[in-house]
Amino acid sequence: MSAAADGPSLTPVFVRLKLSLMRNGLRQSGGRTVAFVASLVVVLLIAALMVLGFLLLRGHGAAGAVAVLTVGVFGLGWAVMPLFLPSGDETMDPSRLVMLPLRPQPLVRALLVASLVGIGPLFTLCLAAGAVTAVAHGAAATVFAVLAVPLVLLVCVALSRAVATANVRLLTSRKGRDMALLSGLVIALGIQAVNFGAQALGRAEDLSVLDTVASVVGWLPPASAVAAVRSAADGDAVVAAARLAVSVVALVVLLWWWRRSLVRLMVEPDGSTVGAAPESVRDPAEGRGLLARLLPGGRTGAVMERCFRYIWRDPKTKAAWVSALAVGALVPMFNAFQEAGSVYWACFASGMLGVQMFNQFGQDSSAFWMVAQTISTPADAYAELRDRAYVLIAITVPFTVLVAVATGLVTGGWSQLPEVFGLAFALLGAMLALGVVASVRYPYAVPQDSRRNVAPGQGGMAVAAIFGGMFGGPLLCAPLIALLVWLRVAGHHDLLWLLLPLGVTYGALLLWAALKAMAGPMLKRLPEILAAVSKG
Amino acid sequence: MPDQASDGMFDTAGAAPEDPGAAPAVRVEGLWKRFGQQIAVHGIDLVLPAGKFIGLVGPNGAGKTTTLSMVTGLLRPDSGRILVAGHDVWSDPESVARVKARIGILPEGLRLFERLSGRELLAYTGRLRGLPGAEVDKRATQLLDVLDLAGSQHKLVVDYSTGMRKKIGLAAALLHNPDVLFLDEPFEGVDPVSAQTIRGVLERYTGSGATVVFSSHVMELVESLCDWVAVMAGGRIRAQGPLAEVKGSAATLQEAFLELVGAGDRAAAGDSLDWLGGARGERP
Repeated sequence: MSAAADGPSLTPVFVRLKLSLMRNGLRQSGGRTVAFVASLVVVLLIAALMVLGFLLLRGHGAAGAVAVLTVGVFGLGWAVMPLFLPSGDETMDPSRLVMLPLRPQPLVRALLVASLVGIGPLFTLCLAAGAVTAVAHGAAATVFAVLAVPLVLLVCVALSRAVATANVRLLTSRKGRDMALLSGLVIALGIQAVNFGAQALGRAEDLSVLDTVASVVGWLPPASAVAAVRSAADGDAVVAAARLAVSVVALVVLLWWWRRSLVRLMVEPDGSTVGAAPESVRDPAEGRGLLARLLPGGRTGAVMERCFRYIWRDPKTKAAWVSALAVGALVPMFNAFQEAGSVYWACFASGMLGVQMFNQFGQDSSAFWMVAQTISTPADAYAELRDRAYVLIAITVPFTVLVAVATGLVTGGWSQLPEVFGLAFALLGAMLALGVVASVRYPYAVPQDSRRNVAPGQGGMAVAAIFGGMFGGPLLCAPLIALLVWLRVAGHHDLLWLLLPLGVTYGALLLWAALKAMAGPMLKRLPEILAAVSKG
Repeated sequence: MPDQASDGMFDTAGAAPEDPGAAPAVRVEGLWKRFGQQIAVHGIDLVLPAGKFIGLVGPNGAGKTTTLSMVTGLLRPDSGRILVAGHDVWSDPESVARVKARIGILPEGLRLFERLSGRELLAYTGRLRGLPGAEVDKRATQLLDVLDLAGSQHKLVVDYSTGMRKKIGLAAALLHNPDVLFLDEPFEGVDPVSAQTIRGVLERYTGSGATVVFSSHVMELVESLCDWVAVMAGGRIRAQGPLAEVKGSAATLQEAFLELVGAGDRAAAGDSLDWLGGARGERP
C-alpha cells in the first residue's frame, strides 16, 4: 500500500470520475434520468424482497442451499455480463486509460473501488447481506458473515473486471459486436434452462437435489464465502475457514489476472489495430475446406457452402438457427416428459426448422445483387431456390430423426415412429414450399446492424409470412392428417406405416411444385426482390 | 449508327474504337426513373462506345447510381430502352441472360457476402457464374495477387477496409472476364496505393479491348483516366463525347464541368458574403 505515497491517491479520482459519468449520463436526457430512477427503485425493491425472503428462510432446512446457490448464480452473472453488455460502463474500458502514465498497482486498486459504485454492486451487497443473514447462527458464524459480505462483493466485481479486461480486444472488435447481437438469444436460453431446472425442482418431493448442487457450488467462489458462514454455524470451523480461504485465494488470483491483463493491454495494440495483426498463414492453394469436399460441385455446392457458412458466421442467421434448433428440440422433449407426451411432437421440430426457408433473400440483405446477377434463366432461379432448400433438408432430416428417436425413448412410442416421420417430412416439404413462395413473393429486409429483425414498414409483411407458414403448413398436410385419423379410427393400425412413403413423396411433391411455380416469377422479380431486401 | 449489333461485335470493337460505325457498348434511349415525387433520371439518351475508358461524372444526386443500376439490370426503369453489347437489358429473358453474362458490376451502397473470406467470395461468385471450379480458383489466385489481397485472402470481407472491399468487389466483377465493366464510384474512400492498384488493373483490362464505365465526382481522376466522358446533373445528360470535345476550350475538365452543371453562378453568389474577410476592427 506504499504505492500511493509517491503522489496523490488515484482512488478518489476514479470514484469521482465514475460519479461524474453517472451524473452526466443522467443529465443528457430526461428519459435516461427516469430510466435510472425507475431501475434504481425496481432494483432496491427486488433487493428488499430478497433480503426479506432470506430473513423468512432463516432457520428453514433449505436456507443454506438457497443462499449458496443464489450467490453462485450471481457470481456467474457478474462473470458473463461484460461479454454481453460490453458498453455498459465507460470506466470499464481500460483502453481509454492506456495513454495515461499510470502504474498498474494503484490503477487496479482505484478501478476496483470505483467499480463498487453503482446499482449492480449495491444490489449484490444487499443480496450477500441477506444470504449470510439466512445462515448465520451463533457468534462464530456472525464473524464469518461479517467477512463474507465484502468478500462476495469484491470477488464479483473483480471477476467482472478481470473478464472484461482480458477480453477487451475481443469486445471492441467486430467479433464482440457479433456476440452482443447473440446476447438476447443467450439470455432467453438461459432463462429457459433456469425455468426447466425450477420445474424439475418443483416436481422433486424433497429438496435433496438442491443440497447436492449446493455442496458443489459451496466450494466455488464467491458462493464458498456464504457456505463458510453456514459451516461455521454448524460448528465446523476448519471447513468454514477452508471455504472462506477459497474465496480469498480466488480474489487474489483474480486481481493478479486483472493486473496482468492491464499491463499487457498498455503495451499492446488496441482493438482498432487487431486487423493489422498478422494472419495465420494457410496454404494459399487451399481455397475450399472439408465442407466443400463433402458438397457437390458447381453452383449447387457453392450455394450450399455459402448457406452453411452463414449459419455459422452471420450472427443473425446463427441466432435464428440456434433458437429454432433449441425450441425445436426443447418443446418435444418437455412434452415427452409430461404424462400426455407423444412422439408426434417431433413434427414440431421439422416445422420449426422449415420456417427458416421463409425470407431467404432477406437474409442475404443487399448482397442479393450478387445472386441476382447470376440468374438469367428460370433454371438458374429454380437451382438457387432448390439448393437453399437442400441446406434446410440436410439439417432438418437428421435433426427430426434425432428428436423423434429421443422422444420415442422417453415415451416408449416406438411403434408410431414411421407415421411420425411421414408426417414430419410432409410438414417439412409444406413449410419449404410455402417458404419458397414467400421468399419470392413477399421478401423483406433484415437490418444487419441492429437487433431488429424487420426493417421499419415491413413488419406487416413479416408477420403475415410467418403466420401464413404456421397455419399454411399444417393446412397443406391436411390430407395426410385426415388419412392418419381415418386409419386410426377405422382400426387399420397395420397400415399406418404407409404414411412414411406417402409423407415423403407428398412433401417432395409440394416442394417441387413450389420450385417449379416460383422459378419464373423469381426471374421476373429480381429487381423488386433486391429493392425489398436492401431497405434498412 | 446500326442499332442492332451482331454477337461478334467485340471482335472488332478493340480494333476500330474510333470508327463511328462500330456498335456501342451501351446505348440508352429515353430512360426515365421516378422515386415518388422526385425524378431521378429525366429521359436520358446516352451512347457509350465500346473499347473505351468511360467516365460518368456529376455532382451528388445527379442520378449516376440510378442510371448505372438500371443499365446493369438491378433497378427497373419506368420507361426507356437500354442495350448493352447490343442486347436489351429489360426485354425478353434470353436477351437479359446475354447481358448478364457479358457485364461485370461493382455497385456502390450494396453489400457483398461479407461473412465469406475474400477467397471464398471469389470461389462462390465464380461458381455461381458457371465457371469450372479449377478455373475459378486459378483466376482467384491471380486476381488476389495482382490486387495485393493475397495476404488477407482468408480474412472475412466484413473485416476488410474500404479500399480492400473495393478491390475484392473489382476482383469478383472481373472473374468471368466480362466485355463491359460498370464501376460505381470505384475510388471513393480508397487510399492512394489501392487506387493506383485498381487503376493499373483497369488500364490493362481496357487495353485488351474491353469497356470500362465508371462513375465519379473526382474530375482530375476522370480527366487522367478516361477518353470518353458523359456529364450528368439533375437527372439529365449535359454533355457526352470524347474527353477533348466535352472539355472544349476550358483548361481543365473541372472548369468545363462547373460550367456545364451551372455551378459557376453559385460561385459568383459569394458576392453576398462581402462582409466575410472584411475589416474586423470595431465590435458593437
